Amino acid sequence: MVRFQTLVVSCLLLTGQSFAQASGSRDQETIRLLQQQIQELQDRVETLEEAAADSDSTDAPHPGPQHQPAADQPAEPNQAPIVPAILHESHGIQWRGFGEVDYKVLDQRQPELSTFGFTPGSAGNFYTGEFALFLTSRINDKASVLSEIVFDELLEQRFELNVERLLFKYDLNDHLRMSFGRYQTGIGYYNTHYHSGRWFFTTADRPLVTEFASKGGLLPTQAVGVSVTGLLPSGRLGLNYILEYGSSDTNRPNIDGSELPTDEDNGNHVNLGLFVRPDAIPGLQVGGSFYHDNITNQDLTPGVRLGQTIVNAHIVYVRHGVEVLNEGFLIRHAQEHSQTVFNMPAFYSQISRRLQRATPFFRYQYANTNPRSIFEDVLLRHGPSFGARYDLNDNIAFKAQLDHTMRKGKPNLNGLQLQLAFAF
Amino acid sequence: MNRTTVFLLILTCFALGLTALAQDNDVAVVVNPENAASNLTIAELRKIFAGEKRSWASAVPVKLVVRGPGSHERETLLKLLDMTESEYKHYWAAQVFRGEAQSEPIVVPSIGMQREAITLYPGGITLIEAQSVKPGMKVIKVNGQTPGEPGYPLQ
Repeated sequence: MVRFQTLVVSCLLLTGQSFAQASGSRDQETIRLLQQQIQELQDRVETLEEAAADSDSTDAPHPGPQHQPAADQPAEPNQAPIVPAILHESHGIQWRGFGEVDYKVLDQRQPELSTFGFTPGSAGNFYTGEFALFLTSRINDKASVLSEIVFDELLEQRFELNVERLLFKYDLNDHLRMSFGRYQTGIGYYNTHYHSGRWFFTTADRPLVTEFASKGGLLPTQAVGVSVTGLLPSGRLGLNYILEYGSSDTNRPNIDGSELPTDEDNGNHVNLGLFVRPDAIPGLQVGGSFYHDNITNQDLTPGVRLGQTIVNAHIVYVRHGVEVLNEGFLIRHAQEHSQTVFNMPAFYSQISRRLQRATPFFRYQYANTNPRSIFEDVLLRHGPSFGARYDLNDNIAFKAQLDHTMRKGKPNLNGLQLQLAFAF
Repeated sequence: MNRTTVFLLILTCFALGLTALAQDNDVAVVVNPENAASNLTIAELRKIFAGEKRSWASAVPVKLVVRGPGSHERETLLKLLDMTESEYKHYWAAQVFRGEAQSEPIVVPSIGMQREAITLYPGGITLIEAQSVKPGMKVIKVNGQTPGEPGYPLQ
């Protein structure tokens, strides 16, 4: 009986100690918070002093926060630390930059067009690829502006400036988000998710089929028009839609060394995409899109009008450092007033796994175009790429990629690409 | 005092001790006092903090206010999103770059500033250690549970 009583007393003591520890940790936390608040107050004083000094030294008016404070909001001095953030959001422009430095070695005898991307240039070249400046500015709670300005390296270290995206965005709610301006078409997954900043890519370049049209890619990757997207009521299924209407105005260079441009003389396209992101499997996205436009094959005399239809299906899983991307495309060109139809398939599969800082990857890609179509310069190309991305820190990544491309009627291509990609 | 009574007493003591420790770790979901929301599922909370759900039922835009790296709330946030700190940074940079978010979540270094931000933004939402919740803050339930209740999912 004495033993039981001892046990009970010990237990009570332990419980008390647990409470005491909790209480002790609370005291320490309180001290830490007080110290932190002192530091914050000092910072506030500094901020206010700097603001006062600025107002003394310049006549420029200070923009006031657009956001009207709530009725129970604390007095002005207490808001000092977050006011700069609010001002920045309301009136400022947020800038981010993305750059790269590449080195590519190839064994091709006859150089094809471009210095990088779909069809690499001469062997052993250094190049800076795309230097992207990305800016956003919030106009109010629902409206904002987004722009992506890219300096592309051409031959002989000349650069051209491209406004890859310029969008006025208005988010009414989760079901209706509108964008007006120049956007990347929502054909499939890759073109919707990845833009110019290669720092975001696991691989050193875009998959062959989704390369930008201005660099010889097969898809109308950009357009000017209206894009509407949002969530459809679907419960845990997470069904989203994307609807676009605009002009892609594609002018793609041939990639077979002839450097002849192909002006597709587009009409206005319509694109409808649907995809699900189910709650049950976070990271999974399954969907597809249907794109239609009328283009012209100006290689023929007189030019022949074509109905261009691009059907996409994709299944993607990105989570826990695992990336599995699978996308298939069917590009269908049907000549008007004729039975002639070209069905041109393309796909890529990419898998990668992040291991600490290194992310090894493997990709296989395939494109097969008809020699009598406007993609007569591409024909059959397919092959694997593998390599690794190594994140030196949160803003700098180094990538090494080996490519083996088999081409119909031409020698196979082997390439090594090294890339230092950075964000700032 | 018979054996059964003593055994029950011991169990009660352990339960009390464990509850005290668990309550210390619970992290509350705090929103603007004007927000009509009173409960979120963990899946909804994940979508909100991942920037996938961007407006409340009232169409007021969601404003994310988060603590900086190293804080308990940040660890809870990363656990909720199932990401590392590096993945979280990369993820939000991509969200903004894609145009799927106006800006990255506002990062504040203290509970006082969290409170100020939540008061200021009608659509504000943040995670605060349950023991640091002050009167006037609106805490909403997660999966129908409030911080301190057994099985509360955010710790």
